[in-house]
Amino acid sequence: MTMNRRDFLKVSAGTSGTLMLSLSLPGCSGMPTGYKQETGEWKPDAWLEITNNDEVHFTLARVEMGQGTYTGLTTLIAEELEVEPAAITPRFAPVAPEYRNPLYKLQLTGGSTSIATSWEPLRTAGASARQMLIMAAARVWQVDAAECSAREGRVIHPNGRESMRYGQLVELASKEVLRGDIALKPAAEWKYIGKQGGKLDAHAKSTGTAVYGIDVELPGMVYGVVSRPPRYGARIKAFNGDELRAMPGVLDVFEIERGVAIVADKYWRARKAQDALKAEWDNEDALSLSTDEVFASYRKAADKDPGESERSEGDYEAAVGEAGKVFEAEYSQPYLAHSTLEPMNATAWYRGNTIEVWAPTQAPDLGRIAAARVTNLSPSDVTINTTFLGGGFGRRLTQDYIEEAAAVAYRMKKPVKLIWSREEDTQHDLYRPAMLHRMQAGLEGNQLTGWHHQIIGPQLLDWYVRNAAPAQYPWAPKFMYDTLGKVGLLAEGIATPKDMSAIEGAIEYPYNVANIDIRHTHTDPGVPVTFWRSVGYSHNGFAVETFTDELAYETGQDPYQFRRKLLVGQPRHLEVLDRAARIAGWNTPVPEGRGRGIALFKSFGTFVAQVVEAGVENGSIKVYKVACAVDCGQVVNPRIVEDQIEGGIIFGLTAALYGEITLEDGEVQQSNFHDYQLMRQYELPEITVDVVQSSEAPTGVGEPGVPPVIPALGNALFALTGKRQRSLPLKADA
Amino acid sequence: MALSLTVNGELHSLDIEGDTPLLWVLRDELGLKGTKFGCGAGLCGACTVHLNGQPVRSCSTWAEAAVGGEVTTIEGLAEDGKLHALQNAWIAEGVPQCGYCQSGQIMSAAHLLATNPAPARDDVVAAMTGNLCRCGTYSRIIAAVESVVESSSVENSSVDSSLAYDAAVVREIS
Repeated sequence: MTMNRRDFLKVSAGTSGTLMLSLSLPGCSGMPTGYKQETGEWKPDAWLEITNNDEVHFTLARVEMGQGTYTGLTTLIAEELEVEPAAITPRFAPVAPEYRNPLYKLQLTGGSTSIATSWEPLRTAGASARQMLIMAAARVWQVDAAECSAREGRVIHPNGRESMRYGQLVELASKEVLRGDIALKPAAEWKYIGKQGGKLDAHAKSTGTAVYGIDVELPGMVYGVVSRPPRYGARIKAFNGDELRAMPGVLDVFEIERGVAIVADKYWRARKAQDALKAEWDNEDALSLSTDEVFASYRKAADKDPGESERSEGDYEAAVGEAGKVFEAEYSQPYLAHSTLEPMNATAWYRGNTIEVWAPTQAPDLGRIAAARVTNLSPSDVTINTTFLGGGFGRRLTQDYIEEAAAVAYRMKKPVKLIWSREEDTQHDLYRPAMLHRMQAGLEGNQLTGWHHQIIGPQLLDWYVRNAAPAQYPWAPKFMYDTLGKVGLLAEGIATPKDMSAIEGAIEYPYNVANIDIRHTHTDPGVPVTFWRSVGYSHNGFAVETFTDELAYETGQDPYQFRRKLLVGQPRHLEVLDRAARIAGWNTPVPEGRGRGIALFKSFGTFVAQVVEAGVENGSIKVYKVACAVDCGQVVNPRIVEDQIEGGIIFGLTAALYGEITLEDGEVQQSNFHDYQLMRQYELPEITVDVVQSSEAPTGVGEPGVPPVIPALGNALFALTGKRQRSLPLKADA
Repeated sequence: MALSLTVNGELHSLDIEGDTPLLWVLRDELGLKGTKFGCGAGLCGACTVHLNGQPVRSCSTWAEAAVGGEVTTIEGLAEDGKLHALQNAWIAEGVPQCGYCQSGQIMSAAHLLATNPAPARDDVVAAMTGNLCRCGTYSRIIAAVESVVESSSVENSSVDSSLAYDAAVVREIS
């Protein structure tokens, strides 16, 4: 496969407008490239830096939160640069237009897009640098560059004996000009892509030396905690600040927009002072509803408004009118917390007319807006240093914790580390929204003639634009932030002018049904919501694949064969479905006391089918086995693909078995891992992940493991008990 | 208040309230950031360290409870500059995803192997059930612990040592 360097520049230009094009003109852009005599460093582009003593640094523009970018993206650049991945030192990227995610036009890591959006640009960057090094060596040796090759950080002379280190060549290479096509290596020559390799961050993460946000240490640092109102949207009315200020180590107690900040010389002293806080809240604008009222409001909205049509094929109304039988079901899903194991935290230092922030964030350019918002500074005065993330799952796309840290540091004028407790993390999350689904199907004999799906619930961009819209226009004056947020992400701004968060996965309904009607009734009860691993797919997967299962049983058909028959012209869906069924031994008898359930769901471009074998033991649901087949196109790191899919399965099972955030008078009822449980080691089922060998362009794997496992488990329990569960979490005694 | 703590073999004299959780003393007073804060209630195991050879949740252990005892953290697990066998296994198996829970996981596993060098699968699962992993690395954790158990049983077995060497090589390439 070849790619013209001009195409490369065009591809990259898509990520950042014209700035990237100026990269070939050293010194003219915000991101200096070229060779620096004083340091002996050559920066061929925004990502790579090769030094005259052979160090290779790689600027990682997609954060590492466990999903494997640290290894995966480094593998892409290593492959073409012809150095071992382990010989490259990744660095977390600063905020710069060059590092934006082209799909969102924001510097964010999410949507299982890192490999897919880096596949061409990073390999091309590696290949371009390699070619320039080869050209430099050829010039020294006075030989034809085409006769030279590169291997393990060296350019090899055509005679096969002589070689030069990259470090020796960087200065000369910087003067070479690439013309014409840059050939990428054919798959047959890959040394690292698709091969088993180690994880580059495993050593640091097995020795306690990896630095997460919570580990940042600065001279003279103090510690902050924030008490937020129990009801979202409440304001502080009064608090016993004087009393707290007299406590040991307490440096200050003050109001910030989001609550009461307490700052002390030591973390535990801040917490002790917080225990003594007596706060009175003004609940006038606060959330006051309970979870059952949320669902009641959804039902009311659904009755009143059939919703916007999101996909329509054939004539559903006519089909259902003529159908011999109409089958209906309603599904509901609760609010879910993210529960990253590293609680929200950020460290900020306001000095002079700048603020520097260290944070585990999925969206550093939104973090810059968050910090600017609460200080007298512009986004350009804000530096964001990204650390390793102790889990993300979408939670760290929202920058509320940076906003708090910046507000506290702005007042303290010294470095402040702000840490949330687990209880605060659980109760002041932005949740996967509670959702309602009304499904209807027309049946003629055992034929499915019509499919109707009404999705009822909020859209996430309504919540996300607040900082995302200004982040796309960082030069906009701050007084415009609220307007920008209200206008939303302008059409030429975010790549998806349409908010897909409620409907994704539902509108890609893959089965061959003549009459399809898919709608979204947009209603938002005001509970803060955001992206949660697999987003809209997480709830649509359950609704679509449970209802499909119901229809199979309703028409007396095997749930696997029923799906199979409906997959017309969908070879990749069919392949993973067949594979999962085969691994699970679908046609073999199910052991006594167990049920088997199947589900198939494509998300983020990746096809996943799963078969779950489950039962009920001692009054609890027991998951014995999960067989999973995945087609994510070309695999870059096999082990990371398996790990992500397996991790997604456990994440999905955790939601299916335990996940439920409830509200009572506007207050979240759960607080820590005793009442918001995560799956534990003793519950681990036997998981088999089968990855399809493919040369299609790679798609994401961080999220697609999650959606199908939830309906597959529900379907397995139905197979066992004959009782259909249409709301989550699933119950052993339903 | 002055407290003396022995951590990773070193005695430290600290000016700290005795009711400060050991976790924050390790992290903020001694700079040992490998031990993590996850829940503050002994529910997740991210803060697991050894106190006199026993695994404790340092978030729920007062610093004064550790006075006179020996505390070992993830930073003190290596001996003579060589990583603990479990750390090598964690790296070889590629266990960590986000990695945040892994110090605690390794400390729990290290205690298991110190007291039971040849645990059965059920023993491993039981010992590791107090440690949450949100990324879902559970099967890799089991594989890593069992790889250490296997290799030590090969080392300790009475078979000819050249066979033991072969077995290790076979494992590595398979």
